[in-house]
This record gives sequence, C-alpha cells and structure tokens, in this order.
Amino acid sequence: MKTKVLIFLFFTIAASVFASYVFSSQGQNDPWTPQQLLAPADLAKVLNNPKTPQPIVFCIGMDAVIKGSINVGPAMKAENLNTLKQQLNKLAKNSQIVVYCGCCPFSRCPNIRPAMKLLQDMQFTNYKLLDLPQNVKVDWIDKGYPMSE
Amino acid sequence: MLVALLLLGCLNPYLYAQSAGLGIGNKPPEIKLPTTKGDTLALSSLKGKLVLIDFWATWCSPCVEEQAELAKLYRKYKQSVFTIGKGFEIYGVSLDAKKSNWEDFIVANKINWIQVSDLKFWRSPVAKTYNIQELPFNILIDGNGIILAKNIHGIDLEKGIARYLHKQ
Repeated sequence: MKTKVLIFLFFTIAASVFASYVFSSQGQNDPWTPQQLLAPADLAKVLNNPKTPQPIVFCIGMDAVIKGSINVGPAMKAENLNTLKQQLNKLAKNSQIVVYCGCCPFSRCPNIRPAMKLLQDMQFTNYKLLDLPQNVKVDWIDKGYPMSE
Repeated sequence: MLVALLLLGCLNPYLYAQSAGLGIGNKPPEIKLPTTKGDTLALSSLKGKLVLIDFWATWCSPCVEEQAELAKLYRKYKQSVFTIGKGFEIYGVSLDAKKSNWEDFIVANKINWIQVSDLKFWRSPVAKTYNIQELPFNILIDGNGIILAKNIHGIDLEKGIARYLHKQ
C-alpha cells in the first residue's frame, strides 16, 4: 500500500514538473522579451498627442485598425514579410517601431513571431510588440482607442 | 400573493423569452449581410428552421478546423425535423477582411451552407452587437429565432442539435 502511494506521488510530481517545463518553454521561444511588450493604453496616449514623437506602427495582420498604422499584411506570408523588410530597410536601426496583429490570442497568432524575428534579425534596437493578448477588438477597439478611417 | 407572483415572474426565464438580447431564451439581434455574390441575406429569413449562427474567419485556425465538423453536422441534420423547427441551417458570419481569402476558402472546402460577411474584420458592427470576444463563437436558435445555446463546440454542439430531433 505504502509503495503504491509512493509511486502515485512520484508520477504526480513528475507530471507537474513536466507540465510546468512545457508551459514555460512556450514563452521562452517567443522572439520578444516582456520589456518589448507595449501596453495599448501607452500607444493610445502617444497617438492622441501629436506633439510627442510618433512611432512607426506596422500592421502585420489582417487589417490596419489602428490610426496611422501601415498595413503590410499578414507576416506569416513570405511576400508580406518581404514587404515589411523593404519598409524596414528605409529606416534607421534605432527608429521607434511598433508592430501589431490582433487577430487572435498571442498563443495562436501566426503573424507576430515572423515579424518580431525579422526585427531582431535586422538588429533594430527600439521596437515593440503591441500587447494585444486577446485580440484587437477587445484590447483596442472596445476601449475606444484611436482608429484608422 | 402579488409579491409572490412578482418574485416568481422574476425567476422565470420563460417570461423573458423573445425579448431582445443575447441570453438563452432571448431573440438575438437581426443580421443582414452580403453573401459572396453580394446579395443581402437576413438571419430572420431562416425562420422556422433550427439555425446555427457560426462566427468565424479564415485567419482563425480553430474556426478553420471546425468547418469540417460543421460540414458533417450540416449533411446529417439539414433535412431533419426538430421539435422546434423543420430543417437545420448554418448561417456563417465571417470576420474576414479580404474577400478573396473568404471566397477561396469556401470554394476549396466546398462549403454549401449560407455565408455572409461585411469584410470588416474585428471592426464589423456585428462583432460589437453580438459582443464577440473571441473566435470561434456560435449561437443556436430555434424556429422562432430564440437562443437555445451559446458557444457550444465539438460533441456538445452535436448533442445540442440532436436533443431537439423530433422523435417518430
């Protein structure tokens, strides 16, 4: 009986250690750091105040919902990623850049990772990912932040 | 006695049936959107049938995966007689932004149920009216347009449909 309890405990602990490893490793593989996430409220504040230096905002998803953003299309497609690369080639490496998609939760979004990887590979030094953990409706539109026409 | 009746009334959801809203027993807002051919098709035109309103998009991977399941349900229940409607229909509302993506997917996957979209992505007024927080999202309504269930998927969706089959 005692052996059975010990075996049960061993497998329970092993399973939880494995689960926590898998869970944490998903985040570790993302090509951004927590410091590179930009809060929507912070971007909205900047966009609402034209006197402050404006970042270059790229939509790397389906639709450039955010005011003033440049639509390059879903970055999961090679041709759109290439369009982004061409746009980035025109910019200084220390340009203030923000990218966003907002189709779906980060875990499912197919566009943010290729775009952030490209910025990393091109050695930009001042780029952020707009923190839209659920989607652009919930985290931007519903909050009444500035939108494109 | 009057107070008791009023209290009972407050607790009885059936007294709210057919009032506008998004709760079970409510009548959801009308949707009138264009099909791929451009003609407008109203949700209310499906009155009399058991209807699944399926909010989806080609850019939503779980939605895309679910379309094969919907095809099976559509084939199985399209002609069925239910206790709350005759026939089963799917009213697919796409939140796509690009018409070619939407149309190509419909053709490639031989989707033969109703498809409508205003191609406004998350800006679609329907997404706001229906308070959609995430895709996929669906609503099952009866022949009178009353909400029977919300956001049911997989086996729960089939059970949700099958439970209303008219027993011979």
